[in-house]
Amino acid sequence: MLIKNSADQYGIIAIFLHWLMAILIIGLLALGLYMVPLPISHAKLKLYGWHKEYGLLALGLVALRLIWRLLNITPRLTLPFLEKLAARTVHWAFYVFMFAMPISGWLITSAAGLPASFFGLFVLPNLVSPNEESRMLFEEIHQWLGYGLIVTILLHASAALKHHFVNKDDILRRML
Amino acid sequence: MKFRISQALLVLLVFLLPLFANAAAPAWQIVPNESSITFTGIQNDAPASGKFKKFSGTIHFDPDRLNESKVRIVIDMNSVSTSYSDFTSTLVTEDWFNVKLFPEAIFEATTLKKTGDSQYQAAGTLTIRDKTVPVTLSFESKKLSETKALVKGNTTLKRTMFGIGQGEWADTDAIKDDVQVNFNMTAARK
Repeated sequence: MLIKNSADQYGIIAIFLHWLMAILIIGLLALGLYMVPLPISHAKLKLYGWHKEYGLLALGLVALRLIWRLLNITPRLTLPFLEKLAARTVHWAFYVFMFAMPISGWLITSAAGLPASFFGLFVLPNLVSPNEESRMLFEEIHQWLGYGLIVTILLHASAALKHHFVNKDDILRRML
Repeated sequence: MKFRISQALLVLLVFLLPLFANAAAPAWQIVPNESSITFTGIQNDAPASGKFKKFSGTIHFDPDRLNESKVRIVIDMNSVSTSYSDFTSTLVTEDWFNVKLFPEAIFEATTLKKTGDSQYQAAGTLTIRDKTVPVTLSFESKKLSETKALVKGNTTLKRTMFGIGQGEWADTDAIKDDVQVNFNMTAARK
């Protein structure tokens, strides 16, 4: 098992980060969709607290993951040009979402004037000063980014499953 | 030596002067747009602040006659304001300030003492909702002019002692019990 990526294989670090973030992101999306429509309650407040903490954790992890990706070679994709383009586009779209989701969330909590704590270790600074109108705008952005991310995950997962079960190639297996 | 009534009166007046002066320390009026009362609680380990836009009070204060000084501040609980509408609309509900039933919070202090150079302490009671709790405020007073002074201070309250946060909100895990109150007031001598 490789630590770093090779020309045709993903290393253990890349695989670990992929699945850790997959679980984290799917959990955050599910939590977000569940908690927003809830009426105000003590439980809702706790859920928001968790969503913020784990969302910030995702931001830290994606930064590490991007650094790791840039330090490594990306295993080649032996696919027709358009399929390869589609796969690579989806991969980079994930990076855009992985940064834009937590940053837009951080903007919401800043604009609400309710800063977020990182697991009780420190309080994040407000990115913008509290403002009701900008909060609503950031909420809208965060929501649509979330929908976009769900669609992207579905595309990515169906493509991986199609390669595994239809094309019977090693595309999915090399991320395991 | 000839006894003069005018001299006798003068002597009498000198002796009586402290009595007149003790009648009450000078009254000060809060200048609303140069004064603020803010509070900061801790939710999910991070601060959440708000303010009261309307309050009034009677302040009798003289640093040289603290035993004659007294303070009474009335806060309009309906004037609570935060930067997030859901937060504000939650605070006014029955579980929190219950502003319909308890529209005012009152701080009254008659025991003032000097704790340092222009540093004072006012011991009194604070009534929020239907609970009256002894509270001590620490403040600093600064003279801006002969007729204007700045009073700045804070205190930390335990919200549950006032029943602020009923039912499930009485839990101090997500929202801590300690709430810091800061006040910054400009008062004009009447």
